Amino acid sequence: MGNTHEREKKQFKQLFQQQGVDQFDLRFMVLEAFLKLEHHVTIQEIMEQIRADGEKIDEDFVLNSLELLCRFGFANQIEFDDKKPQYEHRHLGLHHDHMVCTKCGSILEFKDEAIEKQQLKVADAYGFHMLQHRMEIYGICSVCMEERRSLVLLHKAKQGEKLIVKEFEAGKNMQSRVSSMGLKIGDLIEIVSSGFGGQVVIAAGENRLVLGKGMAEKISVQPLDPIKIMKLEKNKDSEDILDTPVTLKQMKKGQEGIIRKVSGEGVFRRRLLEMGINRGSKIYVEKYAPLKDPIELVIKGYHISLRVEEAANILVENVRFKKK
Amino acid sequence: MKEKFTIALAGNPNCGKTTIFNNLTGARQKVGNWPGVTVEKKEGKLRHKEYDLKVVDLPGTYSLTPFSIEEITARDFILNENPDIVVNIIDSSNLERSLFLAIQILELGRPVIFVLNMADVAQAKGIKIDEKKLSQLLGLPVVFTVGNKNKGIETLVEEAIREIHRFKEGKEGRDIKYSQEIEGCISKLESCILESKIHIDTVLRWNAIKILEDDKIVKQKFIEKEPVAAQIIFQEAIVCRDRIHNLFEDDFEIVLTDDRYGVIAGVIKEIVSNLARERIDMSRNIDLVLTDRFFGIPVFVFFIWAMFQLTFSLGEYPMGWIESGVSLLSQSVDSLLPASLLKDLLLDGIIAGIGSVIIFLPNILILFFCIALFEDTGYMARTAFLMDRVMHASGLHGKSFIPMLMGFGCNVPAIMATRTLESKKDRILTILMTPFMSCSARLPVYIVLAGSFFGNRAGTVIFSLYLTGIIVAIASGRMLRTILFKGEDAPFIMELPPYRMPMLKSLLIHMWDRSKMFLKKMGGVILLGSIIIWCLSSFPRNISYSTDYDTQIVFVKSNYMQDILTADIKETERLNQQLTLILGDIKNKKEQERVSKSYIGKIGKFLEPVFLPIGIGWQASVALVTGFVAKEVVVSTMGVLYGVGDMGGQALERALKNSGMTPLSALSMMVFVLLYVPCFATVMMIYKETSAKWAGFNLVYTTLVAWGGSFLVYQTGVILGLS
Repeated sequence: MGNTHEREKKQFKQLFQQQGVDQFDLRFMVLEAFLKLEHHVTIQEIMEQIRADGEKIDEDFVLNSLELLCRFGFANQIEFDDKKPQYEHRHLGLHHDHMVCTKCGSILEFKDEAIEKQQLKVADAYGFHMLQHRMEIYGICSVCMEERRSLVLLHKAKQGEKLIVKEFEAGKNMQSRVSSMGLKIGDLIEIVSSGFGGQVVIAAGENRLVLGKGMAEKISVQPLDPIKIMKLEKNKDSEDILDTPVTLKQMKKGQEGIIRKVSGEGVFRRRLLEMGINRGSKIYVEKYAPLKDPIELVIKGYHISLRVEEAANILVENVRFKKK
Repeated sequence: MKEKFTIALAGNPNCGKTTIFNNLTGARQKVGNWPGVTVEKKEGKLRHKEYDLKVVDLPGTYSLTPFSIEEITARDFILNENPDIVVNIIDSSNLERSLFLAIQILELGRPVIFVLNMADVAQAKGIKIDEKKLSQLLGLPVVFTVGNKNKGIETLVEEAIREIHRFKEGKEGRDIKYSQEIEGCISKLESCILESKIHIDTVLRWNAIKILEDDKIVKQKFIEKEPVAAQIIFQEAIVCRDRIHNLFEDDFEIVLTDDRYGVIAGVIKEIVSNLARERIDMSRNIDLVLTDRFFGIPVFVFFIWAMFQLTFSLGEYPMGWIESGVSLLSQSVDSLLPASLLKDLLLDGIIAGIGSVIIFLPNILILFFCIALFEDTGYMARTAFLMDRVMHASGLHGKSFIPMLMGFGCNVPAIMATRTLESKKDRILTILMTPFMSCSARLPVYIVLAGSFFGNRAGTVIFSLYLTGIIVAIASGRMLRTILFKGEDAPFIMELPPYRMPMLKSLLIHMWDRSKMFLKKMGGVILLGSIIIWCLSSFPRNISYSTDYDTQIVFVKSNYMQDILTADIKETERLNQQLTLILGDIKNKKEQERVSKSYIGKIGKFLEPVFLPIGIGWQASVALVTGFVAKEVVVSTMGVLYGVGDMGGQALERALKNSGMTPLSALSMMVFVLLYVPCFATVMMIYKETSAKWAGFNLVYTTLVAWGGSFLVYQTGVILGLS
């Protein structure tokens, strides 16, 4: 990088002296400060760097200088989302794209030849001659994601995010209200919009549901990795382990998993527990009866049969196809 | 003086309690391979050295929280009857689940011994159990047995007696410790019960746990003793339950269940070493076909079809032998005894009555053999699995199918078998439906009638009758469900036991018991019925006939004699045949008029208006009425009424044809026999298992359905011009 920077400075001197730009020394100082900073910087950050260098230049002048730098191809101005303009080094011949974290604001540079080529192809296909492009991917960076990975409350989820419903807090009343809307634990949802007075609009399958703030605050969701969604949709029968719990009813023949929760009306639930269908036990779907009901299961090494309707009360996680 | 001890056999359903019971006592209780064969406690005796032991076989339970009647029976016995020792039989190949009940039994603080049964199965599965460690951990004797091979039974008895003595010498049961929170609640409640000074005859800790678990029966006992003090204890229990609920966000009993499984998991880890290597699971391979998506149902239908096919085709041969035996007997009686009233009674009453029924013994035995085969192999539970969807659609329970299938054999044990149903509604409903399942006693009626009137198509007719029975049963179920038994469907949870090779001994026991029952019926109800029917049909003796048959006979005879004398040899033969025919006809007419003027004729005539619209003549009406005693009596009554005692094989058939019965009225009668009031024993069983109300309801309902069904069949036939 050092070399590049030196070359840039040299070019800068040449160009600016040729063009007869005023206050050359001061502007050079701005360049120096800018080059010292890596990544994406705002005017304020450049100002701080100049101050740290022991100089004193007013902001308008710095702004003006950066515009010049941009014009001569030493810098790029980028405006991500609705934030203040930021600047980055522009190294000729070296192109890159950006990923912007909407949560912490961090910016990631990346370059992917496939995308570059694809862009040219697309433009060409439309009979368009591409001069340059800007490509920005908005999302949540890995650091933020790690923080959020576990559980988020629904009202804090971002628009467009795909999530899995994990838990309903609070009482049975609330649970029955939510489930009467057709939402249950293990459902995949997408945030349609969020934030209008705390109201959240979600898409659950083909349904649009509107949840008030009070309700959204009580639903814990887990963001779903887009790659995982892709995998899920691509090969549903693959051997991938599903992190998301599903009800026993949704399990297919030959799948096994760990029981996470047994719900249902009192006596029935106790019966299930007493027959060994309890939390943490491994359960295997042996087969469905010829008329699709009931299910034959293997638990604790013995076979038991249950109606599909009742199997809906049993939540299973780590579901995967048993290896033969 | 010998010491007397009571030993209770307890354990999960289908873990082999009854097999061990039979081994211990030499009894021959029915065993089978599906959960819920034993629904009543059974007692037997055993003499061992200087001890007199009373062995009680309890119905299987999954826990001491009672859900169905059989489970209440088991629990009540252990709690109230104070057996000297509880022998907890454990299916070794299913240790984890079995220990759940075992731990609860242990909590009762009574002398307990663990019996690891089916040790061979576990071994074959590659499961190795360290019984010494188990014995050490839980502080009780543990023995291995193989029930069906009678291994380890001796050790079992000796260990049991030793353990009883140990307790007498002051040994105390070891407590199972749970998590801190649960233990906190238990000790709080223990002290609460102690303070209340309520006298309890069971272990304190157990009572505390049960109250915390909100066990209604235990709570009721407390209320009965000290209502006020009990309320204080319950109040404390509620506080504890709430605390647990807040901590774990679940009910106390659920948390405790989890805890128990936690303890069990620990024990299992200590004592079981799995020699991994999953062996080929035969059971699973069999199920690949028998409960397959495509083959499952066709195979099931095939089995049922094969069962009936076997019953009829295989049964035909011994049936023929018995038949010829009966006719030989009646012929020799006929020739040996001089004509007298006693001879009439013997010939037309007893031999005709019993003889017409006893020939069906082979059929019934084969049918029961097939059903026993279903039960012993483990297929019975699969039928419930296969049929639950169909049953559920008609508002019933898959388990209802087992009693219904058993109903093909006999309705009485079938009604007993409904005890495995957890929901009372389902139970009553199934009990009311079961009588429509055509039992083996009705079979003779079909064979006689269909055989006489439908010839080659008899098989089809009989099969469709069975089918009609099933359809009417399910339709009634649906209807009663929507009218009388509204409400939620009960859940379906059932263990599917592994397939096992049926024990020949058990199959033979089953068949022997059946034959004994059938023969007893012969000697009892059917004999008595035959005599009564004969008496009613033979008296009064002095009947004024409408025409003088005797003169007619003499007249016809002399007429023919003259002709015969004048005719050549060929003509003579022809005339002789004609004469026999005409004479037979006249005798028949005389007999018919005689019977119709006897007491039974009067009863029949009285009944006639009821049965006329369904095309059933007075003789058959009487037969139907007597059929209430036992369905076979329908046939024996017809045998007596049509006086077939001295006519030998196929006699009833000819007599029926001569009596003016048409195929249509025969069909109508068969439908009536299929649907009408079950036999007396069945009605009594319904009364015993439900109430007088339901027994009465069943009487009225089945009669109405039968009459309606026959009316429909007969009148449709008449309109279609089939009569």
